Amino acid sequence: MVDFNVETREDSHVDIVDLRGYLDAHTAPELENVFTKLIEDKRFKVVVNFENLAYISSAGLGVFMAYVETMRENDGDIKFTNMSPKVYNIFDLLGFPLLYEFYTDEKEAIKKFNEKS
Amino acid sequence: MNTIDTFGAQRNLSALVDFSNFINSSLDLKFILNNLLLTCFGKFHTTKGFVALFDSDDKLRIKASKGISEEIIGQFPNVPLCDKTYDNALLAEFCDKLKFVFYQDIISSQGLRGIIFLGERLTKGEYLQEDRDFLNTLINIAATAIENSIIVEKLKEANRNLDSKVAMLTSLFELSKEFSGVLEASRVGKLLVYSVIGQLMVTSYAVVLCGGKEEAQIIEAKIQKKILQEALKKCDTSKITSPLFSRNFPDEFLGLKQLGVELIIPMQIQGETKGLMLLGKRFNNQDFTESDVEFIYATGSLAIISIENAKLFKEALEKQKMEEDLEIARGIQKNLFPQRIPKMKNFEIAAVNISSKQVGGDYYDLVKFANNSCLFAIGDVSGKGVPASLLMANLQAFLKSICKQGMELDQATNVINDLISENTVMGNFITFFWGIINDETKMLTYVNAGHNPPLLIRNGEILKLTKGGMILGVMKTIVPYVSQTLPLYSDDVLILFTDGVTEAMNKQMEEFSDEKLEEIVLEAKNKSANDILFHIKAEVERFVDGANQSDDITLLIIKVK
Repeated sequence: MVDFNVETREDSHVDIVDLRGYLDAHTAPELENVFTKLIEDKRFKVVVNFENLAYISSAGLGVFMAYVETMRENDGDIKFTNMSPKVYNIFDLLGFPLLYEFYTDEKEAIKKFNEKS
Repeated sequence: MNTIDTFGAQRNLSALVDFSNFINSSLDLKFILNNLLLTCFGKFHTTKGFVALFDSDDKLRIKASKGISEEIIGQFPNVPLCDKTYDNALLAEFCDKLKFVFYQDIISSQGLRGIIFLGERLTKGEYLQEDRDFLNTLINIAATAIENSIIVEKLKEANRNLDSKVAMLTSLFELSKEFSGVLEASRVGKLLVYSVIGQLMVTSYAVVLCGGKEEAQIIEAKIQKKILQEALKKCDTSKITSPLFSRNFPDEFLGLKQLGVELIIPMQIQGETKGLMLLGKRFNNQDFTESDVEFIYATGSLAIISIENAKLFKEALEKQKMEEDLEIARGIQKNLFPQRIPKMKNFEIAAVNISSKQVGGDYYDLVKFANNSCLFAIGDVSGKGVPASLLMANLQAFLKSICKQGMELDQATNVINDLISENTVMGNFITFFWGIINDETKMLTYVNAGHNPPLLIRNGEILKLTKGGMILGVMKTIVPYVSQTLPLYSDDVLILFTDGVTEAMNKQMEEFSDEKLEEIVLEAKNKSANDILFHIKAEVERFVDGANQSDDITLLIIKVK
């Protein structure tokens, strides 16, 4: 069984990152690779879909912290969508809702990106 | 009591019951206070009002307001609670200025909780005693609800703190599991950084290793590495022994503050700072709390142990590789020594080399020529280990090629010294002795280049073979080497040795000594070459009695039949 899986797809000029399984210290480097690649390709508008993510640890949150500034400096952002209450709770606990946008549906996040541009 | 009064009282009563039902159905403080205000607005026909409560730090803060601007809220004076009462003057001034004409303490079962303030009535009418009574009743009803909701808020807060601690512990646990399986400093650095910045919302950071005297090594950074490296050069990183906020940075660390570093946390092993974590401001502009710092410190300690282990593991691997290489070198060096002792009609020859390290600097050689003569040589390269053994291999190569040129021994020594001089670095040299014995004439010709004089034992007397010149390798030949030729007779014994024999040490740090060697060879002179060799070896072994052999031992015995 794969304990973590990350895939990317594109929708209306926005990159969607789909997370699946457990995102912790062990699997964080995989997500990191995805973000490094996005930045290399100059893709700064990113929506992370958490629908199938069962667990996230602070190392996983750290990956978002490490890349969010680069995205924002380039007129992009990292927006979060489709989060289960359990996962949202961890984000909430650490104060992320103050600094990141959370949406219940990925379409809303994509729309938000395209409104601005 | 007239009818109007009765209606009024009934209306008041039903309003109170409604209010009571309503606010006691909720534990949300904001909801309760808003309802209290709205009820007052409805009853007293006013449009402005707010409720301020004493927080757990005993400071009065506005918790709910209606009809007043943020600006006014900002002007609210700082009123501390002292001895269950407060300074009225400041409040009175504020209320006068802003026309909050009616205010009343909120008192719960726990005592003074706060104050409700109401503005002028729309009718411009005065607040009457009955209004005050009504407000008191409202407050009495609300007080319990307020009290309950405050307790619930506190519980929620405590729960949140607990959750946050649990998250930290989970992170620590997860990391300790992860670190123990990782043996790469860069990956440990990454995991450490992600966990810390994820937990604390930091976007500028660096992890620096700084153990020992080497320059600080940046293993992970979101701060410009070059500038950071420059700034770190000025810092004595070992000074940081506890977490340090930028306001307490020593002067030399102010360069880091300019780079946005807010917090430095040492990563320590047994109290020694082996690395630093540099963290910038939190993204939400909050300060790092004590428990944040504890968390970072604990994570850092876990990481540095893992990094240190990785380093030790790598060093152990390298050492193992080096030892393997040395073992191979030792094999090669063994092959440089003569593989077999030449057989001669008139001479018995025996030789041995015992290296103290894996590779040594002692040398001996035996080359038999077609004209029935045999070259023998012994040498001792200064120093030990790999450098000495390299020079020894060099000498062996020169000797092998020169002895085939048919040169006279003294001439050949001049050439060998010139060649060795080119290959030695400062201060290296070789003590060297070589000779040729002729199996027909029993003549010996030798040159001694600064080697411990070999002993020639003849008729119970010892002659020392000292003719020659200076040690090899110090400078090119200026004064040519001289050789000596002398006849050998039956039962003469030649003892060639290196200082590893005479300077062999026992545990009392006493040396075997030249005298003892001479004494022994005189005793053993009648034995065969092989037996003399074994005898000397055994005596040396007996003398040192298990002490560590500090130098190579080489012996070459030639006995005339």
